[in-house]
Parts: sequence; C-alpha cells; structure tokens
Amino acid sequence: MTGMRKRVTIAFSSIVCLLFLSGLLSLVELNRVSRGAGDVLAASRRNVELAKEMLDAAHEQNVALIHLTVLGEESYVDECRRAMGALEQVLMTAREEAFDPSFLDSLSFATIEMKVMVDRYLARRLEKPTMQVDSLAGEEFPVDSLGVDSLLMKAAIEAAEKNDEEDSVRWYTEEYEAVYLRLTAAVKAYMTSTQSSLAPRTEQIKRSAYRAVTPVLISLLVMIAVLMMFYYFMTIYCVNPIVRMNRSLGEYLSFRVPFAVKEECKDELLELKEKIETLIVQSRHK
Amino acid sequence: MRIDVVLRYVGQVMMFIAVFMLLSAGISYLSGMDSAFYPLLLSALLTALLGVFPQIFVEKKAQLSNKEGFGVVVGSWMVACIVGMFPYLMWGGEFSFINAWFESVSGFTTTGATILNDIEVLPRGLLFWRMSTSWIGGMGVVMFALVILPSMGRSKMMLSNVEMSTLAKENFHYRTQMIVQILMVVYLGLTILSTLMFKVAGMNWFDALCHSMSSASTCGFSTKNASLAFYNSPMIEAVMIVTIIVAGIHFGLIYATVTGKRGNIFRSEVTRVYLALFALASLLIAISIYSADLYPTFGQALRHAMFQVASLITTSGFATADTNTWTSFAIILLIFVSMICACSGSTTGGIKIDRLVLSAKMMKARMKQQRHPNAVIRVKLDGVIQENDTLHAVTVFIVAYMMLILIGSLIGALCGLDLMTAFSGAVACVGNVGPGFGEVGSMDNFASMPAVMKGVDALLMLFGRLEIFGLIQFFFMKWWN
Repeated sequence: MTGMRKRVTIAFSSIVCLLFLSGLLSLVELNRVSRGAGDVLAASRRNVELAKEMLDAAHEQNVALIHLTVLGEESYVDECRRAMGALEQVLMTAREEAFDPSFLDSLSFATIEMKVMVDRYLARRLEKPTMQVDSLAGEEFPVDSLGVDSLLMKAAIEAAEKNDEEDSVRWYTEEYEAVYLRLTAAVKAYMTSTQSSLAPRTEQIKRSAYRAVTPVLISLLVMIAVLMMFYYFMTIYCVNPIVRMNRSLGEYLSFRVPFAVKEECKDELLELKEKIETLIVQSRHK
Repeated sequence: MRIDVVLRYVGQVMMFIAVFMLLSAGISYLSGMDSAFYPLLLSALLTALLGVFPQIFVEKKAQLSNKEGFGVVVGSWMVACIVGMFPYLMWGGEFSFINAWFESVSGFTTTGATILNDIEVLPRGLLFWRMSTSWIGGMGVVMFALVILPSMGRSKMMLSNVEMSTLAKENFHYRTQMIVQILMVVYLGLTILSTLMFKVAGMNWFDALCHSMSSASTCGFSTKNASLAFYNSPMIEAVMIVTIIVAGIHFGLIYATVTGKRGNIFRSEVTRVYLALFALASLLIAISIYSADLYPTFGQALRHAMFQVASLITTSGFATADTNTWTSFAIILLIFVSMICACSGSTTGGIKIDRLVLSAKMMKARMKQQRHPNAVIRVKLDGVIQENDTLHAVTVFIVAYMMLILIGSLIGALCGLDLMTAFSGAVACVGNVGPGFGEVGSMDNFASMPAVMKGVDALLMLFGRLEIFGLIQFFFMKWWN
C-alpha cells in the first residue's frame, strides 16, 4: 500500500465505518428494546382492562342473581343472562389476545361451571311457576276456577313461592356463592399469572438493553484503540518526519549543518526528503 | 523496539482470530441464526478492523529483534484474550466482564476452567467460538500466524524461538518452517481423526467436532454441563483418553513416528516416562478407589482412574467422575500429575515430564558428584548431553512454578477459599489444567469464586501458558538491552 493520501483515506474510512456500524447497531437494539417495552406495557394494561371487565361482568351477574334469588325480582333474568354473555365475550377476547392461553384454562373452567349452573337455575326458575300453575290449572285447581277455591289455591301458591324462595336462597348461598368465589379467584389468578408471565419478557428487554449498550461500549473502546493507533501512526509516519525535515532544513540554512533525517520516511514524505536532498546538492554545485 | 512493527504482527494474529469468529458466526447462521450470530459477527468485524489497521501503515519487515519477537508473542496472547471476550460480552447471559475475561483466557491458554453454571444454554455459535479459542490457543496464537501468513519471511524464526519452550525447540531438530508444518500436520490430523472417532463412538457431528478441538488442544471445554460424564460411554471415554494422551506427546515425535523416522515415540525416554507415569498413577488410583469401595468392580475403578489421570496429566480437565469423593491418596496423586503434566512440544501446560526427568537426573548426578568430587558428570536426555544453561533454566523454572502456585494459594486463602480449593485451584490454573479439587472440583466450576480470584486465576493461566518468564519479561521490556 503506497501513497500517504491512500493510507489516510483508508484509515479514516475504517473509523467512519466503525462509527456507522456501532451507531446502526445501537439503533437496532434500542428499537428492539423500545418495541419490547411498549409491548410489555400494552400487554400489562390490556390484561388489567380485561380482568376488570371480567370482574365487572361477574359482579353484575352476582347482583342480578341476588335480585332474582333473594328478592325474587324476575326482571333480572335478562340482566343475569346479559352479564353472563359479557363475561364469556371478555373471556373469548382474552383467549384470542393471550401470549399463553394456558393461563386462562382455570378461568374458562370456572366460567363454564358458573354458566351451566346459572343456566340450569334460570331454566328451573322459568319452568317452575309455569309448572306450578299448569299443575294447579290442568288438574285439581284449574286457573279459571281460582275464584272457586281461592283460599286453597292461594295457600298452595304461597307455599310453593315460599319453598321456591327458600330454595333460591339456599341455592345462592350453598351452590352459587362458592362458584362465584371460584370465578373471581380465577380472574384474580389470571391477572397475576399474566402479569408474572410478563417477567420473562421484561428479562428479555433487560437483555436487549444490555445487548444494546455492550456492543456500543465495545465499539467505542475499539474506536479509541483505533484512534490511538491512527494518532501514533500519523505521528511517526507524518508529523515526526516533517518536523525533523523542517528542523534539519532550518539548521542547514542557518548553520550549514548537513541535512539529515533519521526518521523512517515513506511515500510522498520520502520523495520530499529526497527532493530536499537533491535541491541541497544542486544549491551546493551552483 | 519498533512498536509499529509489533502492532503489525499482532494485527495479523487478530485477523486470524477474526476468521474464527466469522466461522463461529457461520455455525450460528446454520443453526437458525441463533442469538450468538450478531455478537459473533460484530466481534469479527471489530477484531478484523483492529487487525487490519496497522497493516495500512506498516510495511512488512524482514527481521525482528528479540525484544520485538517477545512483544509480538506476549502481545498476541494478551490481545487474543481481550478480543476473545467480545462475543461473550455481547451475548450476555452469565458473562459479566470478569467472567468473560476468565472464559476467554481459559480458552486461549487451553486451561478449560469455566465460570458457566449452565453450558448447555449457550447457542451453538458461541459454543463453537469457545472451542475455537481453545483450538487456536492449543497451537499457540503465533504459530498459526506463522503458517497462515507467509509474508513474515525471516521473522518466523524469531517468533517461534520465543513462542515455543526451549526444551521443545531443542528436541525438534528441524528448521522453523518445518516445525510449523509438523505442528500443523499433527494438530490438524489429530483433530480430524478424533472428530471421526467421536462420531463413530456415538456423538453427533457438532459435539464430535467440539470435543475433538478441545481434546487436541488439551483444553477440556465440553458442550455438556456434566462434561464427558454426560455420555456415560466407555467407547467415547476410550477415544478421549487416546486423543489427549497422544496430544500430550511431543508433536515432532508423533510426526517422526507416523513418517517412520528413527527418532520416534518408542525411542524417546521422556515419552516412556510419560506413559509409565500415566499407567502407574492410573493403576495406583484404581486400587485405592476400589479398596475404598467407591466402585463395585475393579474394571469400573480402573476406567474412571485412567480417564481422570489422562485428563489431568495432559492438562485437559475433562471429567467422568466427581474426584472430590475419591480417597486422599488418589487426590494427592492426581494433584501430583496435574503439576507434572505431559511432554514439552505438545499442547499441554505444567512443569512437563522433560523437566521432571532432568530434575531426577540432576539429583542423581548430584549424589554421584558427592561421592566422586572430581568426576565430570554430564546429564543426558535421550542420549543428548544437556548444557548447564538448560539445567539451570529447568531448576529456575520449577522454583518459579512452585512460587507461583504458592502465591496463587495465598491469594486464594486471602479471598476466603478453603485450603484445598485455594491450592488445587492455583495448581489447576498455573498448569492450565482446569479443574482442581474442593469447590473447583471436576464436577464444579469457578463461578462461585470471588471476582478478584477469577482475575488472579486468569493471570496465573497466562503465566502458565507463557512458561512464566515470557509474561514477566514482557513487563520489564523497557529495561532490555
């Protein structure tokens, strides 16, 4: 490799390439870190939202069932079904969006368990009065004969209602409440497990952050080493010979001390040195 | 000293190392672009750039001075260990700064000690790089440069003079160019042959290649957490014993034997002592551990004893058993063989059998001299009279070696390590053996060591690899005349 310009250009280009490379690398890694952090934050937020929606739906259904079972307000049947539907819908959405759907298994089980139980209860509840009325009307106590034996009829209906009310409360406290608690516990477990499932992703981000910083640091150290080498080579191959030549030329001009440069010269500097020597020889001959 | 010239040759070595990094990146790419691909690729680029830079300015030189030769060799080792850290550091995981330094030095010095608790978690590219460091180190960073870079011309002689131990150099009786060729032929041949044998014995191609690189360089790195014990295969263990025992013999003698020359393995006094020591130590340890009821049959005891002795005498450090549970007699004998190690002119570290034989002969000569004060007694090795300088160097080396072990043990004790861990750790590091006993036993690693101790151990490995004085001289180069 000859030519000072060529050497300096190549050296300078390699430094620029190194700079570009380390910059590019850190940019890529930082992008990955930023994307990863954004994903984790979004997943965490969405997880909390879904869990809140599930708990809201479960709560609404619970309230509707209290109205239905304890207070006997039949108008809450639809509300109860709507809340159950909402819970199922949120669960489906959560399953679609989940990183790991296995976290939703226990929640799905609790939801199905509750749905089956509530559906059965509602079906029984809707069927019961009809059956009672039908049984009263069709056989011994026809509906149109209510006025005929109203007292017996009233007593029978009151007894049936009382039994039904007692059944409902018992069903709520003994059967439903346990399933409801299981469901809410499953929702909470879903929330915590999904949050903890974000830990490996956070760890990955930490690793990416490390990987974003380390190559840049190493590139920086290499660059410092390269720059020091560049400085060293420029000093010994360019600066020192020029300084020496200048000094020697000055000494020759002032005191006629023979021109001599001990430093190793190459390329254009060698030519320059030789030309100066030729010039001195020529000036001596004149 | 012409620093620019030293930089040029160190740069050439770095370019060579960069080629291996690229090769590892290739393995990483073939393994489905595993997580080591970018760290390896970037490390290769940075190392190549560092290596290329001096070539831009410095022209090749015909001759190097002794001082410059020393500078190139020691500088190459140091720089190789530094750039060897790059892939580890960039990959992350268990590799903190000090851990990466330890692992890199351990690889290049072929010590084989590790700080990794879980080796199997490393991607293939990084595993291959780990093995590459040991393979490059096995032959000596500079010896590779001598083969690969023919542009160095007459400088070769100067470099190999410094790189190879004096004893090894004297025993070759060939020109430097020839020595380099012999080394390469034997080393490459051993690696290829052992790869095939490991494959036949039941390993997959990747593991076979990695273990052959590690065994030919007598390093002891494995791709498995349980080392060779993972395979629990007598066939694989037999292949390993043969490979490392051969790798512990003088490469010139192996070459001579293969090419049918006179001065072969069977005529070498040193090799005979080496093989006898291996056989005797194996037998004694087998009897000891069988008597202690550690193994149900004598065959099993002999199998494990042979493997561990071969592993430690050749400074490999592979393991098939937890030697911490063995008898005190067996442990002391294993420590002894890991201090003596194998022959000079091989890839092993330690004091070396040659020096042991010469020391024994010097003691014998000394006793003879006391009986016959006026007699002129010469010490011979393989029929060659040894100069007083050589004998003096042997004595000084052994004393320095022991002092280094003592210093290492003292620092270990100062760091809170127990006596066995501190002492055997120092022996393992100075001799480039790898595993010791206690907390750094054959089934343990150096992960639990304090960071200071890891740094000290890495330094001990470098001292051991550069035959102690190489590194010491480097620090006093300024005062050389």
